[in-house]
Amino acid sequence: MEKKDEFYIGYVDAVGKETKSSIKRFVLIALATLLIGAILFGFFQKEANNSVFDFDTPTKISGTYYEAPYPMLRVELAKNTFKDVLLLGFGKFGANAYLDKIKKSEGNINGKHLTIEGNLIYYNGKTLLQIDDSQKISLDNSKKKNFVLPESMGNHEVVGEIVDPKCYFGVMKPGYGKIHRSCAALCISGGIPPVLAVSDNNSISEYFLLTDLKGNPIHKDIVPYIGLPSKLKGKVEKLEDWYTMRIDVSKIEKLDKESSIY
Amino acid sequence: MGLDYKMVLWNKHKKTYDKIIALGMVLYLVLFIALTLAFNPETIAETMIIRAFGSLAVIMLHIILVIGPLSRLNPQFLPILYNRRHLGVSMFLAALIHGVFAIIHFHTLGNVNPIYAVFTSNMDYGSLTNFPFQVLGFLALLILFFMASTSHDFFLKNLSPNVWKGLHMLVYVAYALILLHVFLGAFQQETSIFTIGILVLGFIVISSLHLVAAFKESKVDGFRGEKDTGGWLKVCDVHEIPEDRAKIFSVGEKRVAIFKYDGKLSAIHNVCKHQGGPLGEGKIVDGCVTCPWHGYQYLPHNGQSPPPFTEKVATYELRLDNDIIYINPIGLEEGTEVEPILC
Repeated sequence: MEKKDEFYIGYVDAVGKETKSSIKRFVLIALATLLIGAILFGFFQKEANNSVFDFDTPTKISGTYYEAPYPMLRVELAKNTFKDVLLLGFGKFGANAYLDKIKKSEGNINGKHLTIEGNLIYYNGKTLLQIDDSQKISLDNSKKKNFVLPESMGNHEVVGEIVDPKCYFGVMKPGYGKIHRSCAALCISGGIPPVLAVSDNNSISEYFLLTDLKGNPIHKDIVPYIGLPSKLKGKVEKLEDWYTMRIDVSKIEKLDKESSIY
Repeated sequence: MGLDYKMVLWNKHKKTYDKIIALGMVLYLVLFIALTLAFNPETIAETMIIRAFGSLAVIMLHIILVIGPLSRLNPQFLPILYNRRHLGVSMFLAALIHGVFAIIHFHTLGNVNPIYAVFTSNMDYGSLTNFPFQVLGFLALLILFFMASTSHDFFLKNLSPNVWKGLHMLVYVAYALILLHVFLGAFQQETSIFTIGILVLGFIVISSLHLVAAFKESKVDGFRGEKDTGGWLKVCDVHEIPEDRAKIFSVGEKRVAIFKYDGKLSAIHNVCKHQGGPLGEGKIVDGCVTCPWHGYQYLPHNGQSPPPFTEKVATYELRLDNDIIYINPIGLEEGTEVEPILC
């Protein structure tokens, strides 16, 4: 029997038997490709860490304000047990713009007791607070405390990745590496302190707030080094539960390797 | 075929086609999200949306790109080509959700315009591994936007089929940009042999199908028939052409389709006025040459679409000597009546 010469026309309802079977075959293969793709792309993702950003739950915290050089609140958790909470602004901005109002009215607020309502960000023992309104900062009527000088830890050379702490400690997952690099660059140039995240072979991490050699904040100058495995050298000081590192930005060494914090 | 422009000229096949697209997309998203929640429960919604829609768009683009060559190799796949533009627009919407969420997530709420930030927040343009991969994705999304927004016969007619086709061939540029976007971006950080493997395999399948289809077409373009003393070109034996079908020959710089129907032969330019479909791969239906891509029709003896339609293609004179067909390589004006030769 001669084979039927099938011809498909979109606006004609009838479709030949063999054409129908080819369409079915294509649709099944296409759907299978989609399902295999979903399995591969869904399953083979690096597991996100358990960092937290309480974006919908405001928290009020009180403590002693100080800048070293980045704004922090030293909170007394129990008698003589303190935690340094790093203060940040809304979006990709630092906290300074929100603190300006109270600084204008009160002068130097270093060592003064503040209560701030904001959104907590926390991971791996570190706590940060996002402030989204200068009205949510109030000065408590208490005496000014003497600022405790940081403890010097000597000069160190460490390998890690410069991250923006807001995203790294909870707002984004992942908040590091190449995918996140542009965001981190915007955050740090917007006033969020640069942090060097370092992990050793046992996955124990240390975090260094980076300053220039004089201990002043650095932002835009460090942008080319963000999100890359790098080697940094500098004088390390210890605050309550953060390290700071004074560095010469021009001496940061970019490393051609995979970041150890992945 | 339609005389006026409607948003979509719906028919039974288009509705089925779109239901299958929607089903595929929903299945993908549900499975991706379920797996992410099961194996990566600490992730955040924004990351999940960016990844789900980005990976969906990439896979859909692969499916879109195999349809063209597959249909050239086997006409039974032409129904998949028929409504490909709906698949393309759906893929663009998935890519748009990925792109918009990524821009909002990574580039807004900063001290510069988010679009400006896409191009300037990473300035390592000189480095391969540190290259700002977002720029590649942004440019691909722009191309897909122009393609999706002109995926309508209104633009096809008003831009002219050649310009429209040229614009839509940019899909290959978009494909290259998207592959680079993924390989220089996500795969630098989320490295898995399986996800990299599926895209490498996809590239091999797409390239191979295009090469095989091009090889098949090169046989037509490579045709060099003998000329007789009058300059007419000897093409083939009349029995080589099946009833109601055509054979395509390269005549000078043009492809010509010679149709056999009702004991007659007629030759017309092979390129459909609608989207450049190969008329010679079509069939005589109700006395008209019918384009295999979207069913546009032409009368074989004058190359004119039957009234009230107005499309016209060039016609050619034929001669039959001892069952051998000869063609006058000089084409006639589009729509010129030529008496069919009897065979």
